[in-house]
Amino acid sequence: MPKNSEGKDIAEVNPKKCSGCQACVGECPVGCIDIEDGVAKITAEKCIGCGKCVMVCPSDAILFDKPIKKKVVKPAEFVESGIAAYKGVAVFIEVKDGVAADVSWELVGKGRELAHKLNTNVMGFLVGHNVKSIAAEAISYGCDSVYVLDNSAFETYVSRVYGAALTELCRQVKPEVFLIGASSLGRDLSSVIATQLQTGLTADCTGLDVDPQEKLLMMTRPTFGGNIMATIYCRNHRPQMSTVRPKVFKMPKRDPARTGEIIPFKYDNVVEPLIEILETIKMDTANLVDITHSQVLVVVGKGACDSKNFQMLEELAALLGGSVACSRPLVEAGLLPYVRQVGQTGKTVAPKLYIGIGVSGAVQHMVGMQGSEKVMAINNDKNAQMVQVADYSIIGDYVKVVPELIKGLKARIPNIQTQGAQQ
Amino acid sequence: MNESYDVVIVGAGPAGISAACILADAGIKTMVIERGEYAGSKNTSGGVLYGYNLAQILPDFVARGCPIERNIVESRIWYLSKEAGLSIGYRDSIFANERKNNVFTVGRAKFDRWFAEQAKKKGALIVASTVVVDLLKDASGKVTGVVTNRQDGEVQAKVVLLADGVNSPLAAKTGFRPELKPEHVALAVKETIELPSEVIEQRFGVSAADGVTTEVLGEVTGGMDGVSIIYTNKNSISISVGANLAQFAKTKMKPYEMLEAYKLHPMVAPLIAGGKPIEYTAHWLAEGGFYTIPQLAGNGYLIAGDSAMLFNALHREGSNLAMASGKMAAEAIIAALKKNDVSKQSLSSYSKAMSESFVLKDMNKYRGFPGFLYNTHQLFDELPHVAQFAAREMLTVDGVTKKHKQKLIMDEVKKKIGLLNLAKIAWRGWRSVK
Amino acid sequence: MQIVCCVKQVPDTTQVKIDPATNTLVRAGVESICNPYDLVAVEAAVKITEKYGGSVSVITMGIPSAEVQLRECLSLGAHQAILVSDRALAGADTLATSYTLASAIQKLNEIDPVQIVMCGKQAIDGDTAQTGPGIATRLGFTQLTYVSQIIGLDIQKQTITVRREIENASQIIEAKLPVMLTVELELGAARYATLPGLIKAIKHEIKVWGAKELSCTAEKCGLKGSPTSVKTIFAPPPRKGGPVYDTTEGMDQAVNSLLDTLFQKEAAIMSEILSNDSKVKNA
Repeated sequence: MPKNSEGKDIAEVNPKKCSGCQACVGECPVGCIDIEDGVAKITAEKCIGCGKCVMVCPSDAILFDKPIKKKVVKPAEFVESGIAAYKGVAVFIEVKDGVAADVSWELVGKGRELAHKLNTNVMGFLVGHNVKSIAAEAISYGCDSVYVLDNSAFETYVSRVYGAALTELCRQVKPEVFLIGASSLGRDLSSVIATQLQTGLTADCTGLDVDPQEKLLMMTRPTFGGNIMATIYCRNHRPQMSTVRPKVFKMPKRDPARTGEIIPFKYDNVVEPLIEILETIKMDTANLVDITHSQVLVVVGKGACDSKNFQMLEELAALLGGSVACSRPLVEAGLLPYVRQVGQTGKTVAPKLYIGIGVSGAVQHMVGMQGSEKVMAINNDKNAQMVQVADYSIIGDYVKVVPELIKGLKARIPNIQTQGAQQ
Repeated sequence: MNESYDVVIVGAGPAGISAACILADAGIKTMVIERGEYAGSKNTSGGVLYGYNLAQILPDFVARGCPIERNIVESRIWYLSKEAGLSIGYRDSIFANERKNNVFTVGRAKFDRWFAEQAKKKGALIVASTVVVDLLKDASGKVTGVVTNRQDGEVQAKVVLLADGVNSPLAAKTGFRPELKPEHVALAVKETIELPSEVIEQRFGVSAADGVTTEVLGEVTGGMDGVSIIYTNKNSISISVGANLAQFAKTKMKPYEMLEAYKLHPMVAPLIAGGKPIEYTAHWLAEGGFYTIPQLAGNGYLIAGDSAMLFNALHREGSNLAMASGKMAAEAIIAALKKNDVSKQSLSSYSKAMSESFVLKDMNKYRGFPGFLYNTHQLFDELPHVAQFAAREMLTVDGVTKKHKQKLIMDEVKKKIGLLNLAKIAWRGWRSVK
Repeated sequence: MQIVCCVKQVPDTTQVKIDPATNTLVRAGVESICNPYDLVAVEAAVKITEKYGGSVSVITMGIPSAEVQLRECLSLGAHQAILVSDRALAGADTLATSYTLASAIQKLNEIDPVQIVMCGKQAIDGDTAQTGPGIATRLGFTQLTYVSQIIGLDIQKQTITVRREIENASQIIEAKLPVMLTVELELGAARYATLPGLIKAIKHEIKVWGAKELSCTAEKCGLKGSPTSVKTIFAPPPRKGGPVYDTTEGMDQAVNSLLDTLFQKEAAIMSEILSNDSKVKNA
């Protein structure tokens, strides 16, 4: 156990483990911790050896052997703070052009699982105009009840209008968990609500679970540019809010026979939008590839950067009815558009078959494809990270492997020649 | 808008910052222009610094928080054959006590950043991320300022000090220094190997704050003309191997292979066993020695440090010569500005001071340093005394020229052993490893 | 008119690595940089003042060394910089951060009315994209996220017109001032500072405000004011790799044995992929 020059037991930071989150800096009662070179450093002479920093360190980076009493929050304290009054898992049902976003149903599916562990029910929070049919859909995807805010003012999304309405709904209904899809709309909206409710919000989660002891929501998300995962919780504030990126959770089975309650929510104080949408320019969706909907993705990486070989990759993708996607360096080099990018800063994908060609497998990329069912790697480096994790790998020059693969596939798929020719 | 300063210093390395500290102390309006993101960011060298030289510029460098890695208490010299090695070490408790921080190791990236911070505190303006692309000259050819790569990037200056390093494109462009020939430049590769501090202390037999430097000659560089240095940092050991660029060209040997082979040497391998390489760098060293030193002062400008080819190849003491030259350049500038005369003649007091100092004298005389230090493995009764005397003198840096020290040592040797005996020891020592 | 840009010192996440032995993040020694999105915001703010007048103030909440990033912003043309730094503010989550920054903006507003607050779309270390909207909500400013172009300001009408990017579409929006914008990289990279600009930035005296200067409520800032806590930080468990077919032992053989295994072991997936239904859907 480290000691200072006076022989007093002190805490010490292991710089190799410290993530520089500064939690200990904020916690230290004597101000003896500073951030140096990105990591925490304890001034030995000032440290009083209280061990408080050890408690808050999420990286186990502080060495301190003295036994520390863990503060346990008793249920009584929750009752006092009013937290006990919050019940149920709420899911925001995102509607765009009269259609619900898939991510909302994915969250209803996950919400059911969480609700089961929390011994509670799932509520849909639906905001829009003429959205009755969507409320019914929400029930068939797994909601026990749906609160509907139907008003012509909700025809088009505006952050402050939706934000104020959903804040009011949360105040009235008091859900203990509130999940929102991390679409551009959801990311724009969630912080407005959390700030007004003064509660915690964890963005872009890739994992949600319930701590069996404390019944707290455990929210896991990539951080540090997707290099590492953090599990975050929100103990003393409700609702526990989280946004989740599309395709992270599986789409639940739709059951039209399910029954539930549709509750129109009375809300008259619609706030001023303060903005006017002068024009909406839609992208040409006819030619737009949505890689998140492809069952097969041929993903081009830095090791397959030569655009003159793209045609054969397109052929491989077409043969399997999939599309071509890529990793970040190809977008940065201007070889493929951003909409094709998989990864932390691109799209999260979960195809049935992912074929990585010359993809090294940086963590930033991996977090965007870890939901893929089966992964195949074609790489000339057998030590590449992608090869380490792929279900199937071929080591070799992709320029030679891909034509051989196409030939082999054509031989194995009946009637494929005619279909292949059409594409 | 054009900026105007008394002195513009090109390069925030040891030479430039030493000068900046002295100039700022004298109240002279000084700007230092550094191409890297910060002082030290372009500096791959790690190194051994001499407290004496640093104290000339910052007497209170320890109190100012100089980022010392380890205080050197022992200097070793190795002479290596392919499979064997001869080692002589000199350790003296004086270096852990009264003469603490006489010699110490630093990480140059950290040290330079700290050093520049001190100059800034004294009032010098340090401008980073900016490249000096040319010099401003008047009709007579006198240097009147610099041109940088930024918009509105001209800076007027009464004096310009070039301290931008060995591969300074500026020195070459201005023609102030003849084009470098490959034989005047050494390529050094360095690997820093991470080890727990306790392991380093155990392997070198030192306490927590102390360390060892090892200078190596012999078959370290694949038969090429080169040397190596091994030194201890806080949590790592640095191994650098350098050889002449011309030799690399001739032998077609790759620097990395040379270093890898060297790491397997029986003298080296045990020191770094289990360590993790954390950094591999390559850099140039001005190795031409005395004869490649250019004219140090001209009309409106001076040259210091590596860009003036000031480098003592045997003792790898570039940073120290750079600091001393930077200080002398600054003193010459102060005198010239006082006289309001920055002509070549006026600034030549720098050249004069340099030739009278240990810097140029050592460089002139150094190759004559006898090899007996490498050959004292067959210790006679008289030798320890001489060795201690010699080593203590040689390893204490106090501004006394090495020539004078050498004379003192030789006097002592004559008195205690006699030159003929010493020659015999030397001969036997040489044959035993060759 | 004052424009306030909120910037953040972040580790250069492209340099961050995972130690394979311990499966932990190696943060030590990774250089800190200014969040790239924030630099775009500063550039855009400076361009607005060049066209419409006014001044740009840059604020950051962070450790004292974040001064370096503030000076970078000053060199790009920002007029003043404020470092919000205090131990009491350390360990803040996005809610506490937006509270503290909003307090600082309010203090600036007392001196010169703040009409526009600009933030990067997100910070490259946390990627949360929450602080900007949080500030807007607290200040009651109109919120415009994902702005890719500033079309113009109408000082008379007190409005701003911008283009913002949403999924598969762009919107041209006119909004009432004051506004909070979060910006995309498309807005335009920061300029290369002029030498006088750089020198001015180095010499600029940066104001340092602590919790006291901001009259922050202690319970609302720093670790104390953060509803969320980080339980653990860990490297994601790697997927387990499967068979590897090396083409050096014959291209034909490697590819065919892979395909044989694939069609045999993953028959269900392959038949689903190759069924006509999904082909039509995906083609």
